[in-house]
Amino acid sequence: MKIVVTVKLVPDAGAVKRIDPATKRLMRTGVETALNPFDEYAIEAALQLKERLADDSTVTIFTMAPESSKETLRKALAMGADDAVMLSDPALEGSDAVVTSYAMAQALKKIGFDLILSGALSDDGNTGGVPGALAEYLGVPGLTNVRKIEEAGGGRIKAQRETDTGYQVVTGPLPALVTVTMAVGEPRYASLKGIMGAKKKTIDTLSVSDAAIDRPVGSDGAKTEVVAIAAPKAREKARVVEAADGESGAQAIFDFLRERKLV
Amino acid sequence: MRDVVVFVEHSGAQTRKVTFELAAEAQRLADALGGKAHAVVVGGGSAELAKQLQNHPLDKIHYSDDADVDKFLLDPQVDYLEAVAKAVGPCVILVPNTMLGRDIAGRIAGRLNAGLTSDVTELRVEGGQVQCVAPKLQGSTITTCAFKNADYGVITVRPNAFAAAPHATGAELIALEKPSGKAYGMAIESDVEEASGEIGLEEAAVVVSGGRGMGGPQPFETLLKPLADALGGAVGASRAAADAGWVPYSLQIGQTGKIVSPQLYIAVGISGAIQHKVGMQTAATIVAINRDGTVPIGETADLLVVGDLFQIVPALTLLVQKAKAAHA
Ligand SMILES: Cc1cc2nc3c(=O)[nH]c(=O)nc-3n(C[C@H](O)[C@H](O)[C@H](O)COP(=O)(O)OP(=O)(O)OC[C@H]3O[C@@H](n4cnc5c(N)ncnc54)[C@H](O)[C@@H]3O)c2cc1C
Repeated sequence: MKIVVTVKLVPDAGAVKRIDPATKRLMRTGVETALNPFDEYAIEAALQLKERLADDSTVTIFTMAPESSKETLRKALAMGADDAVMLSDPALEGSDAVVTSYAMAQALKKIGFDLILSGALSDDGNTGGVPGALAEYLGVPGLTNVRKIEEAGGGRIKAQRETDTGYQVVTGPLPALVTVTMAVGEPRYASLKGIMGAKKKTIDTLSVSDAAIDRPVGSDGAKTEVVAIAAPKAREKARVVEAADGESGAQAIFDFLRERKLV
Repeated sequence: MRDVVVFVEHSGAQTRKVTFELAAEAQRLADALGGKAHAVVVGGGSAELAKQLQNHPLDKIHYSDDADVDKFLLDPQVDYLEAVAKAVGPCVILVPNTMLGRDIAGRIAGRLNAGLTSDVTELRVEGGQVQCVAPKLQGSTITTCAFKNADYGVITVRPNAFAAAPHATGAELIALEKPSGKAYGMAIESDVEEASGEIGLEEAAVVVSGGRGMGGPQPFETLLKPLADALGGAVGASRAAADAGWVPYSLQIGQTGKIVSPQLYIAVGISGAIQHKVGMQTAATIVAINRDGTVPIGETADLLVVGDLFQIVPALTLLVQKAKAAHA
């Protein structure tokens, strides 16, 4: 089975995020990139599945990102993925969620897959819309918020999917696109052997024309535009009350709620 | 984009409260755009729910009682929504920013080649154009977005961001034909309930959340639940509490859990990591109980009471219960 994991390269969580005032886009230059944390869970799920299948299944990492962030992909390879493919082209810059999904779909059709695994959200944009739109552009079923893949193979998948009140057991055909939650298990660390091995693994690059992308992409194709950016309203500093005991602490909260007409 | 379409989320027996908020906002936008406000309600119980929706500000309510909607994952909903959007389009589609809503939004946006914007807390019409305001980058910036190059705009809207405005309008009811010719991909074999009641977590006016400081599953039942009940609210949790298995993940508040925006949020034994704050920082009032006075939740809270939660919470519950009894 050919398992492809889509990953997004995002500014490191610790980095100060800056918006370019001219383009109103997140400035990605000069900022350390990292794998979107949620995608590490998707990689973990893929590796677990490959180990369980114990056949000739492979795990390919796929990202749409500038070529300069190639090295970040080595981390995914060091975790144990077999190879990686990047969709990189200056024309893609400024693509929004839906255009990104279209471009990714074209590249993924080229690469081929039985199962696509994605993280449920990205750390920066927080849209959560890409996997759904991607499934549509690929014309494959989507299965979201999976916490456990029970079975996958022989053209079918069975998984537990989180819901508002618990979970559902869902079955369907492969190929399909599956998003996973953090409940699939903590992503493994790369071993020293993995890190050394990753240096020799191939990272292929596709351009817009390689991927047969034949609609406008980047800012030209984007279907949303940012018209304004502002800082959030600052909250007033908290009132801090040191509670001598339970009663006085409770009374302080109660009085505060009274003041605000909340009780 | 003259018309506005609301996707109705429901449990078969009950419409989610956020739908009524979306209906009021849809009507307001439609008026400003010179169009109509529509709702789409599909799945078991929809005929009845459609009638109830006539008590909300809408022009047209499209419904189908199709049982397949409940047996398959997302595909039937997306097909129906697509059919309505294409029939009324160009249009803006409002979807609740809930687990289901986010799924639907991505799918329908791909299906319609639409613009997509998420977790919106304010909507405006400027020069005939819909503008969406949403907190982005973990709440560190407020972004205003507009649609371009598309006949459709899909917007996920945060529950509690808008007020419902119920009044009978006698909106026209339109029975939908089953979209034909498509095979549905993913079938739901079984539905397992791990926790009940918290379907309303995102919509609750009061949320009382517990973190690692709760120390185990029992205090959620014996301490937090009574306080939440006394305040007429719902129980939530930090990821640390969900990861420890003390509560199901469905209670988790935060970036990877639910985003809540209640009137009152009480964080009990929660340090307030950025990923947690993303899920609750737009609450109108935030109270934190923590034994450490230097925790990051202090930067977001209106009141931080420094002390032992095991002593403070039961005493607070008693005070609230007494006040309620005196009121009754
Ligand atoms: C990619 C990613 C996504 C994440 N998503 C989420 C998310 O969606 N939601 C989320 O919550 N977290 C999320 N996290 C985890 C987050 O970073 C924190 O680890 C988590 O929120 C911590 O939970 P906590 O505050 O309950 O625990 P802690 O940080 O351990 O805090 C416990 C608090 O309890 C206090 N305490 C202990 N005992 C008592 C007592 N007796 N009385 C009073 N106070 C007491 C302590 O002083 C402390 O402040 C995510 C992390 C990552 C990396």
